[in-house]
Amino acid sequence: MEQGGHDGRVGPLVHATVEKAGLYRGVMGVFTAARERFLVHLRPEDVHLGLPEPRPPVAEVEATLAQLEEWGNLRADHDTGGVTTVEDFHRARYLYQLTREGEAAEAALRAYTEGLGRRGALQRVALADVRVQLRELAALLDDAAPDESKLSTSLTALVRRVADLADNAQVYLAGLQRALDLTDADLAAFLTYKGQLLEYLAGFVSDLVVIGAEIAGDVLELDQRGIDALLVRQAARDAIDLPPDQRDGATARLEAAWRDRWSGIRAWFVRDGARRSQADLLRERTRAAITDLLTVVTARNSRREGVSDRAADFRTLAVWFAEAPSDDDRHRLWRAAFGLSSARHLTVDAETLEARQRAPVPPHAAWRDAPPVQVSPRLRATGRTGKRGRVPAVVDRTAAKRALAVRLAAQHVQTEAVRRRLATGRPTRLSALGPLDPEEFEAFLALLADVLGAVRDPHGTVRTTTGDGALDLVLEPAPDGAIARIVTRTGVLSGPDHRLTIVPSARSLPDVVSA
Amino acid sequence: MSRVLATASPLADVVDRQRAAEQQRALRALLRHPLLTPTGPDPAAFRLVRAHADVLQRWCAAQAGWSLEVRADLVRLRKTAPQSDAGARPAVDRSGVAFSRRRYVLVCLAAAVLAGDGRPQTTLGTLARGVVLAARDPALAASGLVFAIEDRQERSDLVAAVRLLIAVGVLMRVAGQEESFLRASGDALYDVDRRVLGALLVTARGPSTVTAAGFEDRLSGLAAAFMPDTDDARRLAIRHELTRRLLDDPVLYVEDLDDEERAYWTNQRTALVDRVAATTGFTAEARAEGTAMLDETEEATDARMPEQGTDGHATLLLAEHLAAAEPGQTVPHHELRAWLAPLAAEHAGRHWRTDTAAEVGQTVLLERAVDRLVALDLAVRTPEGVRARPALARFAVAAPRVAGHQEPLG
Repeated sequence: MEQGGHDGRVGPLVHATVEKAGLYRGVMGVFTAARERFLVHLRPEDVHLGLPEPRPPVAEVEATLAQLEEWGNLRADHDTGGVTTVEDFHRARYLYQLTREGEAAEAALRAYTEGLGRRGALQRVALADVRVQLRELAALLDDAAPDESKLSTSLTALVRRVADLADNAQVYLAGLQRALDLTDADLAAFLTYKGQLLEYLAGFVSDLVVIGAEIAGDVLELDQRGIDALLVRQAARDAIDLPPDQRDGATARLEAAWRDRWSGIRAWFVRDGARRSQADLLRERTRAAITDLLTVVTARNSRREGVSDRAADFRTLAVWFAEAPSDDDRHRLWRAAFGLSSARHLTVDAETLEARQRAPVPPHAAWRDAPPVQVSPRLRATGRTGKRGRVPAVVDRTAAKRALAVRLAAQHVQTEAVRRRLATGRPTRLSALGPLDPEEFEAFLALLADVLGAVRDPHGTVRTTTGDGALDLVLEPAPDGAIARIVTRTGVLSGPDHRLTIVPSARSLPDVVSA
Repeated sequence: MSRVLATASPLADVVDRQRAAEQQRALRALLRHPLLTPTGPDPAAFRLVRAHADVLQRWCAAQAGWSLEVRADLVRLRKTAPQSDAGARPAVDRSGVAFSRRRYVLVCLAAAVLAGDGRPQTTLGTLARGVVLAARDPALAASGLVFAIEDRQERSDLVAAVRLLIAVGVLMRVAGQEESFLRASGDALYDVDRRVLGALLVTARGPSTVTAAGFEDRLSGLAAAFMPDTDDARRLAIRHELTRRLLDDPVLYVEDLDDEERAYWTNQRTALVDRVAATTGFTAEARAEGTAMLDETEEATDARMPEQGTDGHATLLLAEHLAAAEPGQTVPHHELRAWLAPLAAEHAGRHWRTDTAAEVGQTVLLERAVDRLVALDLAVRTPEGVRARPALARFAVAAPRVAGHQEPLG
């Protein structure tokens, strides 16, 4: 079939896209109207009369017809009928009729216009019909010699119903989505009936879930029981009606076509492993449409009544930001509306303040004449206040720490040993304390300091504990007032004699053996 | 007041001074972060503000006309802008870049979506879907703004807006990363703090009640709805305005005031300045051309001068160069470029970033330095170039002085 027209354009459809499309469509409309009255051939005068008011002159109509003939919409035959005037005899007269391409183009354009106006629907009734048809097919399968015409009716009805369902659902949801995009004027209509609309959508979803599941079960069962045999029989029946020149390989083609349709129906309702069925997808899209619709309705309502509504405030601000004349204006709006910016102040350091205290600047002086802020020369020269150099490495002090710990432990052991030696628990006269080596003497002096610091009455008994609470000390002056002399390596300590009792206190030194 | 030396004083005096110091610190923190929560941006300041709530509330309302809202989990200083704002305080992202038109719109739309949704949690994907739906508003489309999460730039704009909301405290990240949303490979989960969301706007009237169409009318419609008609009320309004500028702006120039304000200022300058200094701990630098409140603690400002680093050094040198020019003269852009080039050649790589050696880097550096001077009210941009303002003279180079000597050398 030739595709006519320049640079690949489909000739018969060009007339709908050019500037004078209105006139061309009018002329083609006359032809289609005439064909419905079974009038095939038309003269230019007839076409001229058939056009609506205001009519262009006949010459223009003739030129239009000639152009349409060039594009392939019309065919021109010479008019052999008789004429009544001499001018008519000399003028080239044609009879025009639609070509096959022109008819196809007309059908296409008509389908387009109808399709634009179609709103679609979500057909719950179609679901019920599909189930009925499947039940009938199952019944036919049981029959050994099924009725051919019944079979044919069932199959064709089934296919048509599923196609209808799918088509209409798709058109409807697309329309709904466009309305929710707030560009379609139907939004107002939707909002008026939103309660019924939500019921409509919800009802369809529930039916799709319930009846769709039943249909899927029926389809699988039919598959198992051998629907293929019925499809082959139907294909054979279709082949009978074909004209002779199309029968070659027709059976195979028709069988393949019917199998395709059946697998399409199955894909529509039956979930196949990981791939979801069309019914599942349709259900999801409808549910999403419900959610979106509710969001849009809420947004619309809140915008309408947003007197002190926060969300409306923010949305208004968004529009103001978008419409502000410049970036600086936007920054001003940000600060005025949100008030989250930090304050800004010049800073001053302590030296400048001190200098100003010493030599205050009068308030009527200009900044030019006042002493400026003092900036360190290094900062002015390099932009840094500290010297940049290598960071000194961290010194490892574990060895020194370990040595110290060892020394401390040794000291502690020594002190404990000395204390144990002294803490006999028996009253001892100071004069009876034998020569003490330096560590013992140190510890003894510390104990003496503790106990003498607690003396209130020089002639009474003193009871106290050492600073760390490890030893209890009791000091009693000796009755005879003798002088005690304690010999150490470094010298002799003498003083009034006392009786000193050192007892390890109950809470500490658990391993001391008290004598 | 913070410079008074302590001598032997009774205990009550010490306690008073301690309390005053805490109040000053609290107010400075509020000036820096007008919205505080227990978790950020300054938890210690949050506790201080709550401790001194009534004193601060009374003072802010009486002197600045700002309302301070103190609640158990939120502190909000409703810091309305002074009339003289020139647009130097933009919202910034993490790298300090000012927000573009689309980012501002996205912040507002995200806040609108969060306000309209009642749930306590949300994800970045849900928020994005809501914002895309809200961006279909015909008024936004009419101004030419399109948002449909198509490309990476749009995603990064949305992420910048969300990060701002996180920094303010509206959202708290619970799981996930924004980066995975940028790469379209994941999502992030947030808790929504409705109380912070409710405290975001500081306007006297809700924007949705203002029906003006021009930008300036809209801005003035957001402010207080009534005009003062008695003398007392007018004086109060002027006092509020001047106190706001002293608290929030670096320098108050007399040439910026109108006649009424100038008359009030001439009479009441000392009282105003002393009141502000007593409550904030700032020191006043009063000169013939105006007054600057100096912050010795550097707590109440987000831009500092002088500062270390390449940008700070360049700003300091630029300030000195402009201060040396004739007062009131505009220095053209090309002169500044010519002045900067040899300096960049000398310092790049040693003290400055290496990218300043190239011309592109120098342009960026000059822009940033001028931005900082404009932000601190030390210079203004004109179409021809940059003009110094009087306070810039405080950064002029003085003769060097050896420490310990009173007289300058040479």
